[in-house]
Amino acid sequence: MDLSGAGRALRCAAVSLLDVQRLCRAFGPLRAVEDVSFTVRPGEIYGLLGPNGAGKTTTLSMICGLLRPDAGEVRVDGHAFSSDPQRAKSVMGVVPQEIALYEELSGRENLEFWGRLAGLHRAEAGRRAAELLEALALTDRARDRLKTYSGGMKRRVNLGCALLHRPKLILLDEPTVGIDPQARANILEFVRGLTAAGSAVLYTTHYLEEAESLCHRIGIIDHGRLLAEGTLAELRERLGGDRVFVLEGDLRQADPPGWPGFRDRFRVIQRSDSQLVVAAVGSRDPGVCLQELLALPVKVENVTLKRPTLNDVFLQLTGRDLRE
Amino acid sequence: MRHLLFVGHQDIRRLLRSRVAYVWLFAMPLLFIYFMGFANRGPGDPANPRPEVLLDNQDPGFVGAVFLEELGAQGLRTRAPEQAGDAERGLRIPADFTRRVVAGEPASVGFFDIETQLSGQGALVELRLLRAVLAMNSHLVAAATRAGAGGALDETLLRQAQAVPATVVLDARFAGRKPMPTGFSFSLPGNIVMYVMMNLLVFGGASVAAERNRGVLRRLAALPITRRQLVGGKIYGLVLLGLVQVGVFLAAGRLLFGVPLGANLPAILTVLAVYSWVAASLGVFFASVIRADDKVVGVCILVSLLLAALGGCWWPLEIAPAPLKVIAHLLPSGWALEALHQLISFGSGFGAVIQPLGILTVFGLAAHLLAARCFRL
Repeated sequence: MDLSGAGRALRCAAVSLLDVQRLCRAFGPLRAVEDVSFTVRPGEIYGLLGPNGAGKTTTLSMICGLLRPDAGEVRVDGHAFSSDPQRAKSVMGVVPQEIALYEELSGRENLEFWGRLAGLHRAEAGRRAAELLEALALTDRARDRLKTYSGGMKRRVNLGCALLHRPKLILLDEPTVGIDPQARANILEFVRGLTAAGSAVLYTTHYLEEAESLCHRIGIIDHGRLLAEGTLAELRERLGGDRVFVLEGDLRQADPPGWPGFRDRFRVIQRSDSQLVVAAVGSRDPGVCLQELLALPVKVENVTLKRPTLNDVFLQLTGRDLRE
Repeated sequence: MRHLLFVGHQDIRRLLRSRVAYVWLFAMPLLFIYFMGFANRGPGDPANPRPEVLLDNQDPGFVGAVFLEELGAQGLRTRAPEQAGDAERGLRIPADFTRRVVAGEPASVGFFDIETQLSGQGALVELRLLRAVLAMNSHLVAAATRAGAGGALDETLLRQAQAVPATVVLDARFAGRKPMPTGFSFSLPGNIVMYVMMNLLVFGGASVAAERNRGVLRRLAALPITRRQLVGGKIYGLVLLGLVQVGVFLAAGRLLFGVPLGANLPAILTVLAVYSWVAASLGVFFASVIRADDKVVGVCILVSLLLAALGGCWWPLEIAPAPLKVIAHLLPSGWALEALHQLISFGSGFGAVIQPLGILTVFGLAAHLLAARCFRL
C-alpha cells in the first residue's frame, strides 16, 4: 500500500497532537534515547520502527510520563507535558506491550475499569465498553473471565482498554507481539479505523510489514537515535528510487568501489560473500542499469530487480538486517 | 479522591473473587482462633479461677455428698484419682465420714500434695478448701440446731441448711493488676492482630507485585491519576479488606466462641482500622522494596509471624520476660494487642486506648509515607 499521498496531505495539517523535541534518556552509561524528535498529527499513524532494544519503548514511556526525560520536551495537543501531566494524560490512550489487564475480571469489566479510571462515569463507561466489545468482535465473550481468552482476544481487549475515553492521541507499543497472523490482521485493521475520527496514533513495532502497510509516516530508530523518517516513498527515495538490484554469485573477491564508473552510477546497500544489493543513482532506465550491472568485472549468476523494502532502508542506514 | 476510592473498591472486589483468598482470610484464622483458644483455656473465668483438686471420696453417705457440692460451690473442680489432670492438691474423705458426723464425733478429711505438681495454684486450692470446710461446719451447726436437742441429723435437715442463702458472702476480685486473658479471650485478639497483619502484608505485597509484573501499575500510572492517588487507593483497598476480615472475626468470636466484646465496639473497630492501615501500608512498602517479586510473599509471611510472636499474639505478654515486653512495645502488633486486650478482655473504655491508638497512628503515617516514597511501577 502506498500511503505517500496521504502522508503529504497530513503534513499540511496545522497542529501536531504530539510534538517530541530532542528527547534524551540514559540509564547509567547506556544512552537509551538520544536526541529523538518527531511529530504526529491528527489522523496520522506514525510508526516508530526499530529492532528490540532500539529505544522505542523508552521513547514512548517518556511521552506518556512513565519516565522523566534527561533532556528534551514533549508537547501534547499544543501543551508541554511537564506543565500539566494530568491534562496531557487525559488526552492519551496508552496500549502497553504487555497484556496489562486483570485476568480475574471479564473483558467487559476490564474495559469498564480502565474507562472509569480514564475519567468516564459508570453509565458512559458501560456504553463505551459495549461499543468497543462490538467493534473488537468480542461481544459474545464479554462476560467471560479474561483468563479464558486466547492471546489474540486478550490483545484486542488490551487495545480497547486504552480507547474508552476516545483519546485524541493513541500510543501503541508493539500491540501485535506474540499473536497469530489472523489476529494481527484484525488488530491492524482496527488501528487503521482509529484515525478516521481524527485520532493521532504513535505505533511502535519491529515488524517491517506492519510499518509498511499501516503507517503514514515512519521513523527508523536504532541505538536510541532516530536515523530517518518520512513516508514509505520518501524512505525508499533514500535508496535512489523505487527499485533495487540484487546480484548473486561468488562475490568474495569483488571490489565494487574499484570497478570503473560504479560509484557514479550505483550505491551499495548491502554486500556479503554471495550477494550484493545496490540501488541506481538517479532515475535511470532499469534496463540500462541491468545492462551496466551485467557488464561489471565480476561473475554474476543471477540479478533480481525488486522494490526496496523498509528492511533495505534499514540495511542502508545501519548496515544490518532488521530481522537479525 | 474519586480515583483513590475507585482503585480501592476495585481492588477489594477483585481480591474477594478468589476462592483461595477465603481460606486464608477467614477459614484458617478461625481454625487457629479455635485451637489456640482451646489450648490456652484456663480454669474458668480469669477473675475467679476454679482450680482442680484430686478427690478420693470413700464415704458412701450423704454428708460426703453434701461436702462435695460445697467444694463445687466454693470454686473447686474435683477430679477422680485416675484423672488427676492438672490437679496440684488432693483430698481424701474417709469411709466413716458420714457416720462420725451423724454420731457427733470429730471427723476429718485428708489433704495432701501431689508431689510432681507444686505451684501457686496450691495456695488457691487450700483457700477454697478452707472456705468449703467453714461452710460445711456452718451448715452442720444450722442443721443440728433445727434438729433440736436429742434430734437426729439427717440428709433433709442438712440440705435445708445448705439451701439457706448465706447472710455474709465473699465477693473476691483482682486488685492492683489485671487478670491474664485466657482461652478465646486471649486467642481472638491475638489471632486478629496476627492474621490482619499477615493477610494484608501477603495480599497487599503479592497483588502489588503481580500488578507490577503484568505491567498493570505502569498502565495505571499512564492514566490521569497521580502516584499519590494510586498508592492511596492500593492501601485503602487493603484497609477495606482488613475491615471485612475484622468484622468476620469479631462476629465469629462473639457468636461462635462466646467472647464478650466489651461495651466499646466502635473503639475496637477504630483500633483495628488504624492497625489495618499500618499493615496495608507495610504490604505496599514490602512489595516495592523487595526486588524479586517471587520473594515478596515469603518475606511478608516471615515478617508477619515475627511481628505476631514478638507482639504477644502467641503467648500472653504477662508471662513473657521483661525484654520481650519492651520489644512488643516497639511493634505495631504489640500496641494493637494491648489496645484489644484493654477493650475486649478487660472491658475498658475508649480512654484506655488513646495511647495505643496514637502510637498506631504514628506507625500508620510512617508506613504510608514509606510506601509512597518507595512505590515502584
